Amino acid sequence: MNELYHLESIRKCYGERTVLAIDDLALAAGKLYTLTGANGSGKTTLLTLLAFLAPPSSGELRYGGKPVRWTNAALLSLRRQVTLLHQSPYLFNGSVFANIAFGLKMRGIRGEERRRRVERSLEQVGLPGFGHRRARELSGGESQRVAMARALVLEPKVLLLDEPLANVDRATCEHLEQVIVSLPGNGTTVIMTTHDPEQPHRLGGKQIRLVTGKLA
Amino acid sequence: MGFLSDTFSTALDLIASFDPDVVNAVSTSLGVALWSILFATLAGVPAGVVVGVTEFPGKRAVITLLNTLMALPTVVVGLAVYGIISRQGPLGELGLLFTPKAMVIGQTILAIPIVANYTLGTVKGADPRIVPTALTLGAGPLQSIRQLVQELRFGIMAAVIAGFGRVVAEVGVAMMLGGNIRGYTRTMTTAIAMETGKGEFALGLALGLILMGVALLVNLFLNILQQR
Amino acid sequence: MKSLRGAFLAIIALVVLCSAASAEERLKMSTTTSTQDSGLLRVLLPPFEKENNVKVDVIAVGTGQALKIGEAGDVDVVFVHARKLEDKFVANGFGVNRRDVMYNDFVIIGPKSDPAGIARAKTAAEALRMIAAKGATFISRGDKSGTHVKEKELWQAAGIQPKGSWYIEAGQGMGPVITMATERQAYTLADRGTYNAYKGTKTDLVINFQGEKGLFNAYGVIAVNPKKFPHVKYDLAMKFIDFVTGPAGQKIIAGYKAHGEPVFFIYKK
Repeated sequence: MNELYHLESIRKCYGERTVLAIDDLALAAGKLYTLTGANGSGKTTLLTLLAFLAPPSSGELRYGGKPVRWTNAALLSLRRQVTLLHQSPYLFNGSVFANIAFGLKMRGIRGEERRRRVERSLEQVGLPGFGHRRARELSGGESQRVAMARALVLEPKVLLLDEPLANVDRATCEHLEQVIVSLPGNGTTVIMTTHDPEQPHRLGGKQIRLVTGKLA
Repeated sequence: MGFLSDTFSTALDLIASFDPDVVNAVSTSLGVALWSILFATLAGVPAGVVVGVTEFPGKRAVITLLNTLMALPTVVVGLAVYGIISRQGPLGELGLLFTPKAMVIGQTILAIPIVANYTLGTVKGADPRIVPTALTLGAGPLQSIRQLVQELRFGIMAAVIAGFGRVVAEVGVAMMLGGNIRGYTRTMTTAIAMETGKGEFALGLALGLILMGVALLVNLFLNILQQR
Repeated sequence: MKSLRGAFLAIIALVVLCSAASAEERLKMSTTTSTQDSGLLRVLLPPFEKENNVKVDVIAVGTGQALKIGEAGDVDVVFVHARKLEDKFVANGFGVNRRDVMYNDFVIIGPKSDPAGIARAKTAAEALRMIAAKGATFISRGDKSGTHVKEKELWQAAGIQPKGSWYIEAGQGMGPVITMATERQAYTLADRGTYNAYKGTKTDLVINFQGEKGLFNAYGVIAVNPKKFPHVKYDLAMKFIDFVTGPAGQKIIAGYKAHGEPVFFIYKK
């Protein structure tokens, strides 16, 4: 197996409370993982860790075979390979285009290529021609799709999804499920949390269950 | 009744006829306040953002200090700056006392804590998802803070306008550091103080009306921004 | 970022517009409030400013403070009225070339009813004694101005240390003090120039006592010593002094009238 992440003796504590305690977990590249567990079982904490947004309290996280160094310079290049889609995503106050182009702008991708990639990702999520809309005036389902497009446009190595389908209508849900399922075929590793007990079966892939911060 | 209504109509005449004393005081007031708020913005907004987004020892003390400085009496600022820029003071060679520049220095000092504090409040009340969202989309630490500022632009503009409201209405610094020189450092507020003392109520009232108009506009702006 | 940047540019543009001041030279003068409040400077300065393409920045405060500002080197010329203080200023090396400019006199003004009856007094000191004895309200400048200095001399001559609820130290200029005395229907010592400018429209107080030799009020102009403060615009200050003591300035001073009456008098050469 082509190992991407490796977690060893990872602990994440907030004060006295340990919210995540994973002794050994390996995640392979180009696979789909579903992460299940009750509220407060540590799913979001795990995703935040995998997105390199917050370091563990102790233990070692390896990515691509190398231990992650939590310094600004090292993190920037790591974060540019990975993106996390929050369960209630924050859209920047501006146009849909500006939102989706943000990550590309950070990577120095501009002009025609930027425009082309933004348009393609909007088509991917079923919102062609939405670029000029104001992000704050979208419906809930549309916002979720735009946030998905904002992540997809980066063509990340790893896509971390925190309950991406929890607050969307049926049509959006089915559409996005199709998009998600198609990603590992293109080499993208997808790790998503879900509440829906049926979803892991529908989507296939490997299931990881967390109970009070531990693997079950 | 006659006195008041006469004064009032004379005041309106002075405004309507663009009386040079009125026009001069208004433009000096606005010019000095705008320069001050420009400098205060350049210093206060970054200060507020930095204190808001970073953690460092003594942060609480810094916040308390900023809060205290917000209530800085204008005459104390006037006194301190006077001592520094008078010919006998450390910066005396620059010959700044009794010039508009002196007023800009004093009013900038008055405005910085206000701009910084309101900016800090806006940053503290910001959506906690903004910075992580920018980071996970590939922004560096500075770029993510830039994005934060961009998202908070209306709150920060409100901070700037609040600072402007404070300096345009203050009289202590303008009087002590500007010297109330006619056509040069005489502002709306110093002119009102002087004209009232001299019994020239109409001119004072005319300026007072304009000053209230400016304050009204400033607050209108603030209201609009706070609703966005 | 666009709208924020736009707002900034707009502010900068406005600021630049507002401060498009000309680059003419400026002469800083500290003076007593009476020269400004009497309206004299409004007619005296423009011809000088025009002739020399200069702006005279007038800082109108009490004589004491005007001299203090000069002692700090914050102005180029002082124009005041307290001979003893002026001589000290020159003797201590802060000023040079003191010249007499003009004179008028002090008057004691008060309510028309003259509650203390000072119109019957023979000297100013006696008038003050009567006010004190009656406990009639008296407003003092209380700001170390030339008028205040004169007032203290008069109290000393009267042998009285004024204090009590009838004696109010205002700490303000001549104009505000006349306004205050009018509101309180009180007595005060005023220079005739400022009083004349206020008489009728802004105050209903009348002159209750005048005409004593001790009430003489002389104005002098002094250049700040360039040896002590090399930055002062000495040449310009001297030009100003030459102007106000020369024929053109003297003519303006002698011709200036408030409510049809002369305010200041020039010395006969």
